[in-house]
Amino acid sequence: MAELGNRANVMGPQPIARIVEPPPAMITAADALLAALIAGRRAEIEAAADPQARDAMRMIADSVKPGAYDKVTIIGQARIAKHWYTKARLTGRTAKPFTLQFRLGQENADGNDGGRWSVREATNLTEVRSAWSK
Amino acid sequence: MQRMLSVDKLARPEDHVLVPAERTRKARVEQGLTPNGAMPYEEDFLKARLHGICAGEFQAMEAAGRTVFDFPDAPWEFQLDMARQVWDEARHAEIYMKLLDYVGSFYGEFPESEVLWSCTQAEDPAARVAGINRGLEGLACDVFEQLIRLAQKMGDEVIERSVDYVLADEITHVRMGSKWMRKLTEGDPERFKKAQDFQNNIDDLFNFGGTRTTVDKAGKIMQHVNGKDIEIDQGITIAREARLLAGFTEEELERLVRGFGKSQAY
Repeated sequence: MAELGNRANVMGPQPIARIVEPPPAMITAADALLAALIAGRRAEIEAAADPQARDAMRMIADSVKPGAYDKVTIIGQARIAKHWYTKARLTGRTAKPFTLQFRLGQENADGNDGGRWSVREATNLTEVRSAWSK
Repeated sequence: MQRMLSVDKLARPEDHVLVPAERTRKARVEQGLTPNGAMPYEEDFLKARLHGICAGEFQAMEAAGRTVFDFPDAPWEFQLDMARQVWDEARHAEIYMKLLDYVGSFYGEFPESEVLWSCTQAEDPAARVAGINRGLEGLACDVFEQLIRLAQKMGDEVIERSVDYVLADEITHVRMGSKWMRKLTEGDPERFKKAQDFQNNIDDLFNFGGTRTTVDKAGKIMQHVNGKDIEIDQGITIAREARLLAGFTEEELERLVRGFGKSQAY
């Protein structure tokens, strides 16, 4: 939606709640995962994934040639309650862009930010229109 | 141009996160939540519910538009009604985007699922309107009526009046669906039955395990919303008055309450 400017300066209803910002620890975990993927650090990638997402992350890691990508762009983020999806694209001069989407959830989330963020699901979106594709 | 468009061909901004409904359910269950969408007692209820409705309005707009395109041989008046519905749904989408802004959210904060679009894929216009206009828009009447009551308890006239404005259109859409389902299948009971079955499947899909009931019978719990403690329904209720206004019969409502689903067009 277009930025509407400083709402306090206009008449009419003002927002009744604030936008929920992504937790910094989640962003750090997403960045670390993407960096490991680019560098081909397999053990780190597998360790970041829950057992249910390990196969999917393994397949994604298989598709990412180490050293082929040098730039990560976060395309989008969305959440379901306290789990966060990240949609990202890897680009490099020698390889076709690689797009993926993964969901991070915090282990032992107790309201504090102490729990580790791990991958709960991951999808390779390269050359498909969306995760809706069957 | 391709007819009967599959869900992955819908245009969406690239920064939107699209997730099949089965995965969003899984993500909710993993967090100890009920599988099917935000419930009134959840912290994020207003944001998530308004977001889900907003996505529904977009998909309803697209579905009505595709109905105009997919059935060029349908009566001209049918196409006019569908075109009108596109315009209505576009307005609704705008209203809900503004309501999202109002509750501190934005379109794209949550993933969008394909489930509503998947309910539109009927190759007969009679089944299409039975599913969309009677099944999904009937569900919209339920969801909106509940939201209006919640807003009244919150003392929030912005949400109450905005949603009431949209509900008036949904009632008209259900009536249009009933009219065209009947007209298009006149003298063809087999075609009528197929359309009915299509709607029944959609009603069953949104039965949510048979947990839905009328407002007066629904369990109530306390929730802290917008600085106030208010009593709200435990689940999505069935909006008896709105559905009657939309043309559902007492008998249909009784069936909805008993088993939810297997409703019959009048």
